[in-house]
Order: sequence, then C-alpha cells, then structure tokens
Amino acid sequence: MTPTPELLPGTLYLLILRTLARGPLHGYAIAKRIKESSDAALEIEEGSLYPALNRMLVKGWLTAEWGISDNNRKARFYNLTPAGKKQLEQETRDFDRLIEAIQLVMRTA
Amino acid sequence: MWRKLSYLFRRKRFNGELDDEIRFHLEMAAQERGEAAARREFGSVVRMREDTRSAWQVRWLVDLGSDLRYALRALRRNPGFAAAAIFSLALGIGANTTIFSLTMEFLFSQPSCRNPETLAHMEIGGNSHAHMPHYRFLRDAHIFEGLAGSFEEAESNWRFGNDTYRLHTMRVTENFFRVVGVPVAMGRPIEPGDGDVVVLSDRFWKARLASDPNIIGKALIIDGRPYRVSGVLPHNHRTVLGFGFSPDLYIPASRESDVVALIARLPEGMSFQAAHARLVAACKQLDKAYPNEWGPKYAWSNNVEVVPVAGLDRLKQLSMIPFTAFFGMLMIVVGLVLMIACVNVSSLLLARASARRQELAIRLAIGAGRGRIVRQLLAESLLLALLGTCAGLLLNIWLSGVMNRVQLPLPIPLQLLIQPDWRLLLYSTVVAAISALVAGLMPALKATREGVSAALKLTERQVGRWTLRNALVVGQLAVSVVLLTTGFLFVRNMTKSMTMSLGFDSQHTVWAHMRLVPEKYTATAQTQALAGSALSELRTLPGVEAASIASVVPLNNNDVQGSTIRTDLGSDDIGLGYHDNFVAPDYFRTMGIPLSGRDFLPSDRNGVPEVAILNENLAHRLFGNQNPVGHTFRYTETRISDPVTVIGVAKNSKYFTLGEENQFAMYWPYLQMDRPTVDLHFLVRAARPRDVLKEVAQTLGRLDTSAAVEVKPMRDAMGFAFLPSRVGAALLGSMGLLGLALASIGLYGVLAYSVARRTREIGLRVALGADRAAVLRMVARESFGLLAIGLAIGLGISIFATKPLAMFLVPELSPTDPATFLTVVAVLGTVAFAATLGPALRALRVDPMVALRYE
Repeated sequence: MTPTPELLPGTLYLLILRTLARGPLHGYAIAKRIKESSDAALEIEEGSLYPALNRMLVKGWLTAEWGISDNNRKARFYNLTPAGKKQLEQETRDFDRLIEAIQLVMRTA
Repeated sequence: MWRKLSYLFRRKRFNGELDDEIRFHLEMAAQERGEAAARREFGSVVRMREDTRSAWQVRWLVDLGSDLRYALRALRRNPGFAAAAIFSLALGIGANTTIFSLTMEFLFSQPSCRNPETLAHMEIGGNSHAHMPHYRFLRDAHIFEGLAGSFEEAESNWRFGNDTYRLHTMRVTENFFRVVGVPVAMGRPIEPGDGDVVVLSDRFWKARLASDPNIIGKALIIDGRPYRVSGVLPHNHRTVLGFGFSPDLYIPASRESDVVALIARLPEGMSFQAAHARLVAACKQLDKAYPNEWGPKYAWSNNVEVVPVAGLDRLKQLSMIPFTAFFGMLMIVVGLVLMIACVNVSSLLLARASARRQELAIRLAIGAGRGRIVRQLLAESLLLALLGTCAGLLLNIWLSGVMNRVQLPLPIPLQLLIQPDWRLLLYSTVVAAISALVAGLMPALKATREGVSAALKLTERQVGRWTLRNALVVGQLAVSVVLLTTGFLFVRNMTKSMTMSLGFDSQHTVWAHMRLVPEKYTATAQTQALAGSALSELRTLPGVEAASIASVVPLNNNDVQGSTIRTDLGSDDIGLGYHDNFVAPDYFRTMGIPLSGRDFLPSDRNGVPEVAILNENLAHRLFGNQNPVGHTFRYTETRISDPVTVIGVAKNSKYFTLGEENQFAMYWPYLQMDRPTVDLHFLVRAARPRDVLKEVAQTLGRLDTSAAVEVKPMRDAMGFAFLPSRVGAALLGSMGLLGLALASIGLYGVLAYSVARRTREIGLRVALGADRAAVLRMVARESFGLLAIGLAIGLGISIFATKPLAMFLVPELSPTDPATFLTVVAVLGTVAFAATLGPALRALRVDPMVALRYE
C-alpha cells in the first residue's frame, strides 16, 4: 500500500464541498468519490469524515436528509446550501492563491 | 447558535441517526472490501461518535452544567458552610431588593392615568393652587389638550348611621377624570355635568362599605348632602400626586371658593418648554382680566412652573431633594450590607478553598487547566448566589407584604403598593451576578495561583502575613463601622426626638378635632359661638384642668405668614416669616408654655384694638433686649395697619417640625380671627389624658351631630412630626443591626478559622514549653491588630460619611457626637474579642501530641 500524502490542513472541507457541488451524496459516496477522482492518491480518514460533515451542518453550509441509496438502502444524503456554495467559491480562491504562492516559491527559490 | 440549541432538545434522535449512518457506511465498505478491512479503515467508532457529537455541543454550556452539578454535590456535603453563605446572601439581597422596591415605589411609581409622560403640573404666580375663576379662564383659553384641577388636601364629613366620620377627599374639576384618564374598576368616572357624584377608593369601599357589590347608584351623605356613587377605583390606584397618598373619595370641586392645583394634558409632541411659554402667554391675559390684588409683583405670569408628573424630572424639584437624598442614602447603606454579605461568602469560600487545596492540587496535577478550575470554583459561587437570590427574593416578597400592610400614624392616608416587578427581577439578577463574581473570583484566583508544586504540599505555614483573608476582615470591619455608625445615629436621633423638649407639654394634653360641615357654618360668628359653648362645656368635665382652642396645633398643622413689620421703637421695616396661630384664652396654660405678660382675655375680640403675643425669638428680633410688653407694631406690607399692642411673650417651642430651629411665632386672640373655618382644634389639659377622651368626644359630638369628631392624646396626634425620625431609625437601625449580625458571623468565622489553622503551631509551642498566656497573647495580638486597623479605617470614613446626615437629624444631635463612635467601637470590639477568645482557648486546651499529629 503506497502511503497517501497527508491532506493540507483545512482542505477536507474544500474537498467535501467540491464533491457535493455536483449533487447530493451520502457519506460513504463522498469518501469514495474523493478517492476515485484523485486516482486513489487522496484517501480521507473515514473517522474524521463524519465529524467534519457535522461541523459543516452546524455552520449551515450543508443540509442533510434521509433518502434511498442506489442499492435501495436508507442513507443520509448531504446537500450544499447557498452558504455552502459561497464557501466553496471562497475556499477555492484561497486554495488557488496558496498553491500559486507555493509554486512560485518552489520555482524561484 | 440556534442549530446547536435545537440539538439539545433532540439529542436522543440525533444519536440514533448517527448510529444508523455509521452502520450504513460500514456495510457499504464491507461489501467492497470485506468486513475486517472496512472496520480497520474506519478506526474507532466510539471516538468518531464523540468527535461528531462535540461538533454540535456548546462546550461551555455542557461544562457549566457539570460544574453546577459538581458544586451542588459539594454544597450538600458541607451543609453548614452552604447555610451560612446562603443565609448571608439572602439577608443582603433581601434587604437590598426590599429597599429597592420601596425606592421604586416612592420615587418612580407611575400614577394611574393615561400617558403620564404628556401630563404636567402647573403653577402660576408662584402659587401651588389656583382659584376657580382663574382656573376657568385658563381652561377656556384652550392652550392645551385639556386643563383640569384637583385639591388633594380636602376633607368631608360622611354621615353613616348615627356617626359622622371625617374623610380625606380629593376635590376635582368635573373634567379631571377625562383629562387625566384615571381608570375605574366599577361604574364610571366623574363626567362633566354629573352634579353631586362621588368616586370611591377601593380601600374605602372594602373597609367602610363592606365591598357592597350594588354600591353604584346608591347615595352617601357627604357634608349633609346626598352624593350618588358613580364609580369605584381599582385596588392598585395611584394618585397623580404619588408617594402612596390615597384619599377616600373623589368628589367634584363645586364650590366657588374651591382652589385647585392645575394639571394639564399636553398635545402630542408639545415639549414642556413650549407648554411653559404658552402658559406664560395665557397668564399675561389672565393678569389683565383678573389683576392680582397684592399688586404687580405677584402677577400670575411671574413664577410660572411646568413640572412633569412622573419620572426623573419630578425628582429634580427642590421639594423632592430630601426624599431623593434619603433614598439615595438608603441604597448606599443596603449596598454596604450586601458588600458585607459578599465578603462573608468570599471569606467562607476562601477558607474552603484552602481546605480543598489538596483536591485542587490533584486536579491541577492530572492536567486540569487553571481556567477550568477557576471556572469550577466560580460555578460554586454562582450557585450560592443563585440560591441566595432566590431566598432573598422570598424575603423581599414577605417584607414588602409587611410594609404594604403597615399603617403609619399619619394625618393623611398613605397606602404603599410595593410589588415585585421586572425592574426588581433585573436588579436582583445584576446584584446576584456581581455578588457571585466578587465572592467567587478572588478565592478562585487565590486558590490556583500558587501552582502545582506549592499546592501539593500539605501544610500551610504562612503566619502573620498580610493575606487576602486579613484584607477581607479589615474591609469588613471598616464597612461595618460605617454602617453601624449610621444606623446608631438614626436610632439616637429617634430617642432624642422622642425625649427632647418640644417647648410645650405633650404628655398631659388631649387633641380634639371637630370638622364642621361648611354649608352649615357660613358666618364666622356661628363658628365662634359653637367654639365658645364647646369650651365652657369642656371646662366643666371632671378631670379637665384647662381647655382652649387654636387655629394651629403645633407639630400638626402649619400656618406660615410672611410680612414686613415696623415697631414703635422707630425701627426700619423688618421683613420676616413667622408661624401664625389664633388661640383662645388659656391656650398657654393648656399647652404648658410659660408666658410672661398677660394671657388673652374674652374681651380681646373683634372691634377692640388688636393685641398679640410673641415668642421669645420674635420679641428679640423686633424689640431687641427691651421688654416688648406694652409696645406696639404695625404691618407695612401693602398699607400701614393700625398698631397692634404686644401683651405677652411666650417661651420658644417647636412649631411644625422637630428639625426646625430659631423660629418666629405670633399668637392672636381666637375671637379676633376673621377667617371662616370649619376645622376646630380643641386642646384639653388633663393629668391623665386617656381618661377624659371619651367624655370630650361625647361633649363635642352632642353639640352638632353632623360634625366629625376625633379625639386623641396629643402624643398620638403628632405622628407626622415623629415620622421621619421613626422611619429613619426603623430602616437604618435595622440595616445597622443586620450589618452587625452579618459582620459578626463573618468575623467570627474568619478569626476562628485562622486560629484553627494554627492549631499545629500552637501545639508545637506548648509542647516546647511556651507559656499558655504568652500563646494567648500572640493569637490575640493578631486578631486585635486586624481589629484596630479595621476600626481606624472605618472610623475615618464614618466621620466624613456621616457629616451630610445632619440634614436628617434633629439639631440637638450632632453627627460627629463622639458617643456614637465610642458605642460602635465597643460593640465591634466585644464581637471581635468573643470571636478570638473562643477558638484560642480551644486551641490551647488541645493536647500537644494531638496537635502535632494534626493533619
């Protein structure tokens, strides 16, 4: 098992928000989607996923409701709120700036 | 925030949902990777659940909850400590809130009326009351939304069965209820054109008419005429005048001779300044229509006042300053009582925190943050404050009930309506919060300051150092000295005013008041005839030594005149104010006032040259050191009057208040009084006043059955004069006692604790052969050192703090009288002595071996 790179602090919210931007998903699907879209490079710790989701619920970025999953099971689906969308834009911008800055340092220094 | 709060109420459901979600996740993972791998990757379910839950929790709220639960357990383990602390706080907060309620009721209560903020009292020409023609002129000028008038000091005779009672009546213009907007509980208010109707107070209706439910429409015989009852006021009616004044009835001011205080309803948005300008303009018109008979100096448009009926502006008036000052002082005094209570709790907590050093040390050692421990100790004091406040509020409700029922010995009916309201709740919450902080913060900080290693050490060896606890004792002593001095000063003031010489004999005199129906006695001659036959009958009663009649009874009524006088010594005009009194022959003998010169005689009547008797002060002011008897003086104010011959000089006495000094007084023959009156004040001298009351009342009652007769020993009739000193002594004396009790508890507790702390040291000294007396001296030195510092600071403050109290005291008592301070020092010294001696002796009796093994 290749070691997965550690997530930058604070990026977990960003990843979850980005993943949910395409539509409501349940918790397991969020974890799976992040892993797949990063070609298994990023694997979020499942133990921290649900606390993060709940903190985001408290902040009002997400709403949650019970629905039926693909395999006909009862599951809790998370959905972005307008506040969540705004937060996603904000965090995306911040993240881009951060990466650019780091790359700048890497190239010149 | 509200999301977190809503979580609190559906915690159970939330936890179930979370479990469902985790189960679903694990099953999905297990389908793909197998059960074991899924569980391994997920990690600890319990930990995750904790983390998730904490996302929803308001951390400090949960901590507070557990702190409070812990504190409650701790208090229950130590019931003695808890009781002492809660008791102290309950007394402090109970006293505080009660005085607060009283202050609110007296100074800030809202009168029962519509929109009090647009109502204003008005004075024209410097007069508190206006004559009916003037009132009508201003009303018909329509300068305000409405202008009404009321006369609050009126009386009337109510004939009920075979008896006639004097009632306190508010005479109001017929538009009064409409303009002021006074609500009635039953029936309807007085309306214009109603004629002879009456509105009853709830108290009168309940107490005198047995709450007759069909009273509306029935007739009461008032001043010999039937008045139809039109309405009954609600039980919580407060007059526009305020101060708990509560008359028995409201009746229309229908006599042309009525005078009324003006009250106006200002139009929406009109300022009081604008109202003042309008009133001045209207008064200029009034001056043209009705010029003042005293000349242009007394024009109606001079000295015009517009005063709001409620709120702060009312308190800014000059006449309100003593009230405001008295209540301000009361609030300060109860604040000091609360401070002592807080210091008590604080030192109790401090002592407890020292006793719990080990527990705290262990908690610090296993990683509890300092903030966390401070918070937990604060939670304990918060809980104490909460319990103390609840107990204090209960005390407040009980005390308010007592105060509402209290009947003050007053010539006018007062009824207080003290009831807990939101302001009180707010106030006590603030008081509780502050007391929790004050009582909790210092010990909490102190207990955690020394750090883990110092705290883990078992013993406390600091001795004789300037500690926080010592500072608290000194502070408490100082505050109690101030409190005791104030309280004791007022108690002395009361005893002084009860025993001081009034200048007349109040022990062997009977006060007999007879109020006649005005409509029956229109000429002065009728009243004089009645008074004459009453006096000759009274003088024949067995047990009666002398009887007289006076227009003014000292310390009961007041009649102050101002004028300019010129004497036959060729002096300049002397302007002065003096107490006027028309008295019948034998007045001075009846009242026991020494007189030089001759008394009035029955021959001093209308139509003969005027004669007068002066008091010593006035005689000296007018005639210097000459004997004034036989000399004459004239009034020169408007015109030069006929000469008045001085026939005698009476000793100085008190005239209207106990606090007055060097007053001028002038006596005239009753038979030369040309003013019509319906109030006859008879005075009867008897060796045993109580034995003749009944005969006097019957004699007067027989003369005119429509007259209201009241007979009392003089002492009882002077209640109003003694009221300020009695109220002051009752309130401040009890505060002082309360402060002393609290301070004694605290002092005893702290000193006893600090001696107990040194048990080991004392044991060691005794074991090493120290003289017991020497040890005792050592302990006493510490206590008395504290006592001396506390007393010195307290006395220093008291000397300055009690200076302004002179305004409340009779002139015969000085606030800096050393006797007061000496007593206070003696009382506190005794308490401190008892508090030191007991524990010290106990410590000395301890077997050295036991003391050494202590802890």
